[in-house]
Amino acid sequence: MKQEAGTKKKEAGIFSLLQPYMGMVALLILFTLVSNGLNLWLPKIIGNGIDAYEHGTFQLQPLLIKFMVAVIIILTFTYLQNIIQTYVSEQVARNLRTKISDKISGQSYAWVEQANPSRLLTNLIADVDSIKLFVSQAIVSLVSSLFIIIGASILLLTINWKLALAVIATLPVIGITFFLVLRKVRAMFMKSREIMDWLNKVINESILGAALIRVINSQQLEYEKFLDANSKAMGFGLSIVRLFAGLIPVITFTAGIAGLIILSLGGHFVITNSMTLGDFAAFNSYLALLIFPILVIGFMSNIIAQATASYQRISAVINMPDLMPGGTLTAQLKGDIAFNGVTVNYGQKPVLKDISFSVKAGSKVAVIGPTAAGKTQLLNLLTGLLKPSSGSVLVDGHPVTDYNSESFHSQVGFVFQDSIIFNMSIRENIAFNDTVTDEALEKAIQAAELKEFINSLPNKLDTIVSERGASLSGGQKQRIMLARALAVNPKILLLDDFTARVDNNTEQKILRNVQLLYPGITLLSVTQKIAAVTHYDQIILLMQGEIIAGGTHQELMLTSPEYIQIFNSQQSTSNYELQS
Amino acid sequence: MNYNLNKYTGKEHKTSNYTAFRNLLQLISHEKKNLVVALLAILLNSTLNLLGPFLIGYTIDHYVQHKQYHGVLVFSGILLAMYLVALFTSFFQTKLMGSVGQRTLFTLRNTIFSKIQQLPVAFFNQNKAGDLISRVNNDTDKLNQFFSQSLMQFVGNIVTMIGAGVFLLIINYKIGIAALAPALLILLFTRVLSPWIKRKNAANLKTVGGMSAEIQESLSNFKVIIAFNRRDYFRKRFNEANEKNYQTAIGAGLANNIFLPFYAMCASVAQLLVLTGGIYLISEGEFSIGLLVSYLAYATYFYNPLRQLATLWANFQVAMAGWDRIAEILELETDLITVPDTMQPSLSPALLEFRNVHFGYPEGREILHNINLSLERGKTYALVGPTGGGKTTTASLIARLYDPTQGTVLLNGKDIRAYAADERSRKIGFILQEPFLFTGTVKENILYGNPRYNDYTNEQLTEAIREANLEKLLAIFENGLDTKVISGGDGVSLGQKQLIAFMRAVLRQPDLLILDEATANIDTVTEQLLGEILEKLPGTTTRVIIAHRLNTIENADEIFFVNSGEVTRAGSLQNAMEKLLHGVRES
Repeated sequence: MKQEAGTKKKEAGIFSLLQPYMGMVALLILFTLVSNGLNLWLPKIIGNGIDAYEHGTFQLQPLLIKFMVAVIIILTFTYLQNIIQTYVSEQVARNLRTKISDKISGQSYAWVEQANPSRLLTNLIADVDSIKLFVSQAIVSLVSSLFIIIGASILLLTINWKLALAVIATLPVIGITFFLVLRKVRAMFMKSREIMDWLNKVINESILGAALIRVINSQQLEYEKFLDANSKAMGFGLSIVRLFAGLIPVITFTAGIAGLIILSLGGHFVITNSMTLGDFAAFNSYLALLIFPILVIGFMSNIIAQATASYQRISAVINMPDLMPGGTLTAQLKGDIAFNGVTVNYGQKPVLKDISFSVKAGSKVAVIGPTAAGKTQLLNLLTGLLKPSSGSVLVDGHPVTDYNSESFHSQVGFVFQDSIIFNMSIRENIAFNDTVTDEALEKAIQAAELKEFINSLPNKLDTIVSERGASLSGGQKQRIMLARALAVNPKILLLDDFTARVDNNTEQKILRNVQLLYPGITLLSVTQKIAAVTHYDQIILLMQGEIIAGGTHQELMLTSPEYIQIFNSQQSTSNYELQS
Repeated sequence: MNYNLNKYTGKEHKTSNYTAFRNLLQLISHEKKNLVVALLAILLNSTLNLLGPFLIGYTIDHYVQHKQYHGVLVFSGILLAMYLVALFTSFFQTKLMGSVGQRTLFTLRNTIFSKIQQLPVAFFNQNKAGDLISRVNNDTDKLNQFFSQSLMQFVGNIVTMIGAGVFLLIINYKIGIAALAPALLILLFTRVLSPWIKRKNAANLKTVGGMSAEIQESLSNFKVIIAFNRRDYFRKRFNEANEKNYQTAIGAGLANNIFLPFYAMCASVAQLLVLTGGIYLISEGEFSIGLLVSYLAYATYFYNPLRQLATLWANFQVAMAGWDRIAEILELETDLITVPDTMQPSLSPALLEFRNVHFGYPEGREILHNINLSLERGKTYALVGPTGGGKTTTASLIARLYDPTQGTVLLNGKDIRAYAADERSRKIGFILQEPFLFTGTVKENILYGNPRYNDYTNEQLTEAIREANLEKLLAIFENGLDTKVISGGDGVSLGQKQLIAFMRAVLRQPDLLILDEATANIDTVTEQLLGEILEKLPGTTTRVIIAHRLNTIENADEIFFVNSGEVTRAGSLQNAMEKLLHGVRES
């Protein structure tokens, strides 16, 4: 009982998508009814013709005119119906996609990671498609089928109610079978969609990891993974097929039985003279009319089941609560940064524990520490990619969340550790925020030492970079990312291991450029190289999520054995690096 | 070879539906038996369905009109038996054809996926992940829809239709011709419009692929979108793709619906023709009322399936458009074929040798010019040089991710192209610049594609890791071997990803190990550890290290300076440093 109520509610949900198009849908149904109504009338015209002929009152011309007018009206209205149907269904699909993408775009990074991009992809493409199919085919088919069934039933009743009731009595058999099959099928569709997500994931990873797979020659392994997911998908497909294989014969069989009833009972009526032969013929043709819509409902049930399953999945995304409204502070940043007792948990384990430190505006601070110490998370906190589990992250004395994100992000530049390059022109990759002026772009390119490289390209700034930046070297990508961050003219620059993929020579130049072209910028740099940061105002040593030590290079060399260990690990070659 | 699927420079796909369909059927030739059985079920089923109205008409003429109720009952009994048989044939028909559809989808997906696996890295650089996913998933599903839902009806309808048509002609060829005449019009209409419908659908599938690529790209780069406050950008780009898709979808939707109303009209006209023709013939004494009644039913049995064919034919066009996109992938061949070994066995002791190697990406400038170098067993080599100088490209040629445009790469004195892929990949380990993890555990990732430890228990594996001196690296992971990782996720840091890639490569025990800035994001203390591990590799292992950080290369036996597509011996570390610091950066 409970479950039934639940599904009812969901079905109401799927129909709610149609609300903005109620006018169109009404028109659609009207057109459908007109053409279907006329369609029902056609056999009547024919039947009357036969009767008239039997009674010797047959006239060809009025019959021809009546018939042709009806046929032409039907043609016009079905075309109109098709056009509206296409527009409505495509608009529903487009708007649903917009709705989902708006929802996604308003979510946090953590949510998108956890929601799993492969799944969101299925949501946006395949799930919306099955709802579109539902709108474009199921609604009209359902309405017109029901109409024909009811209309034909009424006509049957007016011709001979006893015979009609006997025929209609067979219909519940079909209804019950539907109910039983659909109940099972819906759950299966849900599961098969999950398999689709899995399949997407395998494909996705095999594409993104293509180079590794070829180095290791593990194509067979990937194929087996795919085979596994694909076999499961086929398994569900086959189960669904089996269920439908049970449904459709029941429908045709029931229709056959209805025909039998007409023959045996109607034949009896004709023999006992309680029914004319013409009525009997009409009865037969109406039955043919009746079977088709019932079959259609049978096929539509598949679409309905898929669409409700898909809608359930999409609802989960659409009904996500929106992010807390962002802050409203739009102040010009000075660049003071403070962490007060910040703790971050990732799953159960803490990645940052009780972090407190402050950075004065215009100063240069380095964060140093071993792999997986939580350095990147520190920067993520500052850009709002990550929220602290407890404690606060302040910029100019206000929590980061108090700032209007547009104003805030246009004053904070972030260079990520991993290269993220979009399949757009280099210009668009760098001027990623549309507030970027041409001068700011020029300046950023100059600072990131990209001028020479860009000039060597055939289309200069308008050269399109391939997806994932496959056509660029690691260092080129890194410098484009730096230029992207600098192009917003930031007050605060966050560098995450920026120097890792840029050669020393270039690195030194770039850092000098930044000092020169962006005076007064607050720099927070995660790095591995002590040599490059010895003159920084502050160096923070982070280990396993905790601040072990902090201070200038000289201070740390005196107080922190861990720092000295890191320093020593770089000693042998730092004399070369210091030369510049 | 051009691998860009969306920029077909070669001959346009102009295969006819017929040949395309034949190619498609070849892929599912193993389903022949099932198809035959299904076809028999369909035939039987359709015959039974056709016999129905005939028997009803017969009963009306012979028993109802002559008031013999007994005969009516006898024929009702016969009909009931027939319907019972049809119940089973229809069940088998649906089940068999539906299963064929599902298995076809399965086979198709497998075929494409395995084809994609055979293609080289260049293919992936030229195509968008989202578009490929769309081809493997959505386009194949279009074929599935046709096979599982439409083909069965398609065949069933054609059989019913032909049967009904034959009946119509046999009963009375004059009325038969009148009844079938509108069908000719339908045939003409269909022939003229089909290519247009296919084109519309092809355009639509292409925009679906584009939309999928857009989503894929934006979602995997979501953190940039947030950090630069460009949520609007995601929306805008997506809306553009969405709008484009909307336009083509409308086109395809309208095209797909063009047949049905016309078919329906022809069906009605046929009824009218039968009626008037029938009445005329009755007045001529050639026909009876009872025959006319069943004749009208037959006309319905001819035109009802035809009406359904309208939709099915459109579905067929959609499926063919999808198949074309799939066939584009299936037609591609890898350009990294294994060549027969024709070289004179070389006597040089080098493990790996470049001989006059040139390389450039297709339609791009030449990146490497006439490279000659030779790497000996057991030695450590460093490739240094400015960004964009050609270091990664050189390494990629060693691992044969690409073939040189000119010249040869020799492994053990034998053309590297003469090695089978598995042998080559066993000998050459390559830690890529961008570490890649599969969703799973650390264990699954470090053992990825490594058959050596297949049936090791966790304990044995821990032992093996200790022997490879990797246990300290593993300790960096919260839950050791069982730490969960998500591909593309930020749950583990980039440095940790690099550690996993490092362990993965070392455990494979290659003869030649390339590290392409493989430790760039790892702290220097851990890096020293990695250095020690590399030192302890078997004495015959050759190491090629690409790095910016000099402490990683200070122990190299030889340093190569890579700049502007040229590889030169740099001599001492000091010398290399000079070059690096004062050389012109050429990117």
